[in-house]
Amino acid sequence: MQFGIFSVGDVTPDPTTGRTPTERERIKAMVAIAQKAEEVGLDVFATGEHHNPPFVPSSPTTMLGWIAARTERLILSTATTLITTNDPVKIAEDYAMLQHLADGRVDLMMGRGNTGPVYPWFGQDIRQGINLAIENYAMLRRLWTEDVVDWEGKFRTPLQGFTSTPRPLDGVPPFVWHGSIRSPEIAEQAAYYGDGFFHNNIFWPSDHTKRMVEFYRTRYAHYGHGTPEQAIVGLGGQVFMRRNSQDAVREFRPYFDVAPVYGHGPSLEEFTAQTPLTVGTPEQVIEKTLSFRDYAGDYQRQLFLVDHAGLPLKTVLEQIDMLGEEVVPVLREEFAKGRPADVPEAPTHAARVAAAQQAGSDEQAGSEQTESGRSAEEEVRTA
Amino acid sequence: MKLVVVSAGLSVPSSTRLLGDRLAAAAAERTGAEVQVVELRELAVEIAHNLTNGFPGPQLGGALDAVKAADGLIVVTPVFSASYSGLFKSFFDVMDEDALAGKPVLIAATAGTARHSLVLEHALRPLFAYLKAVVVPTAVFAASEDWGADGLADRIERAAGELAMLMAGPGRSAGPRESAPEAKVTSGDFEFVPFEQQLSALRGE
Repeated sequence: MQFGIFSVGDVTPDPTTGRTPTERERIKAMVAIAQKAEEVGLDVFATGEHHNPPFVPSSPTTMLGWIAARTERLILSTATTLITTNDPVKIAEDYAMLQHLADGRVDLMMGRGNTGPVYPWFGQDIRQGINLAIENYAMLRRLWTEDVVDWEGKFRTPLQGFTSTPRPLDGVPPFVWHGSIRSPEIAEQAAYYGDGFFHNNIFWPSDHTKRMVEFYRTRYAHYGHGTPEQAIVGLGGQVFMRRNSQDAVREFRPYFDVAPVYGHGPSLEEFTAQTPLTVGTPEQVIEKTLSFRDYAGDYQRQLFLVDHAGLPLKTVLEQIDMLGEEVVPVLREEFAKGRPADVPEAPTHAARVAAAQQAGSDEQAGSEQTESGRSAEEEVRTA
Repeated sequence: MKLVVVSAGLSVPSSTRLLGDRLAAAAAERTGAEVQVVELRELAVEIAHNLTNGFPGPQLGGALDAVKAADGLIVVTPVFSASYSGLFKSFFDVMDEDALAGKPVLIAATAGTARHSLVLEHALRPLFAYLKAVVVPTAVFAASEDWGADGLADRIERAAGELAMLMAGPGRSAGPRESAPEAKVTSGDFEFVPFEQQLSALRGE
């Protein structure tokens, strides 16, 4: 199982001081958070992609490339990459490039963004949101898996004899997660391709997460990729920790009460009761996170949001220290207990290369299996 | 068979709730339906939180599920500023947009004066038409003076009869969604279009 940090990249004033960080400070804070994640033994750092204030991370591969050069083990990911408004040709090339520079430590999470106006900024139409997600992703898969692509679709100019460069590292594209909060269409898409499904549950009660994950698992099995328990699931969660739970609540409450994403609604107590938000001791975070398995099943990736509500960088780095030193080691041990042997590990480049080589030798032996996902790509190709 | 009353009355006791109870009793007598009352006053804070946060709290979630699962609905609001109350509208604002599709709904309102009686026709009926509900022809309005006058009981009986007929009628089981252009299937709580169909729809087939 993989544990990591995801950041939205919002510039939010610190309500206790009234100070707003500059864009430069926030960008530098994000990369400091990523470096800290590696330092304390976490597995993943994922950045959001946004194209409007108050968010700073508009160019994920620039940021992840910088982090790649300063880390050794950390997997670099996104939360999320806008599959609707980015040209799939550009995604194919940017992330293949990043794969080479990062020696394969790259995967992506596809999403549709959180704001309608982003569509016209990139020449697209929000009414086609779901269709863009479907067509662009079908095209992206072809650009990564076929060296020469002829392609025609609804939403961009056709391609003839096009080769996206560089080719994916070792001929194996980055693993793809599909992130969604409430669209069953996206869970269905992830299931169809046998990709990962990340439910960003941070503002949702557990029964909603349970329904979405169960739906994805059922459909994953329906499309013949394995049993429901073998589907690849990721979850979010947001935390604020201190040694003593009352200190945690006292320190976080002024941030919670006015934060753009939390404030002026339910109380901190109501919010922590109904969503994954945990404000308390490392032990409380461990307990809450372990409970995710009760409704989502054994899963592969747990990402924590820690740089929320305008907390200063120093505080955020303390949170990551506690995650790395006290929380994640226990979670690794506890999640491993009772985990069935046929539940897959979280995907890595090395494992995917080994699987591709195995599949290649099986194919030569004449035992080729056709996945349902494969045949549908053929359909799109002839469109 | 389940009948749900949504009452937006604010005082206790409330004439809005009273009208809802009278209508429910008359409809239950004809249908044998089990009656559940949703008092929006008790859900006011959770409704406000749903507006700011995007998900319902536990009590509100239960009420929304009950309304969605109901075979028929009686909705009653006091008239505020010449329309339904803000709380009444907010409850339907946080509901899934298809939750009322094809559902028989009886609309009713209370006010201090009969001058507001057309609120049912110019505010409530268009709202429930938009939500794709099947609104019964007789809407029931009760001004303060109606509680002591002839006529209200007759209107309650007529409206309840119309609701009972729709709840038992053949139109219910047919359901409006089966005629949707995309053949949806269900898994768990989700109704969705299978991915192959989404791909082929994109190809213009």
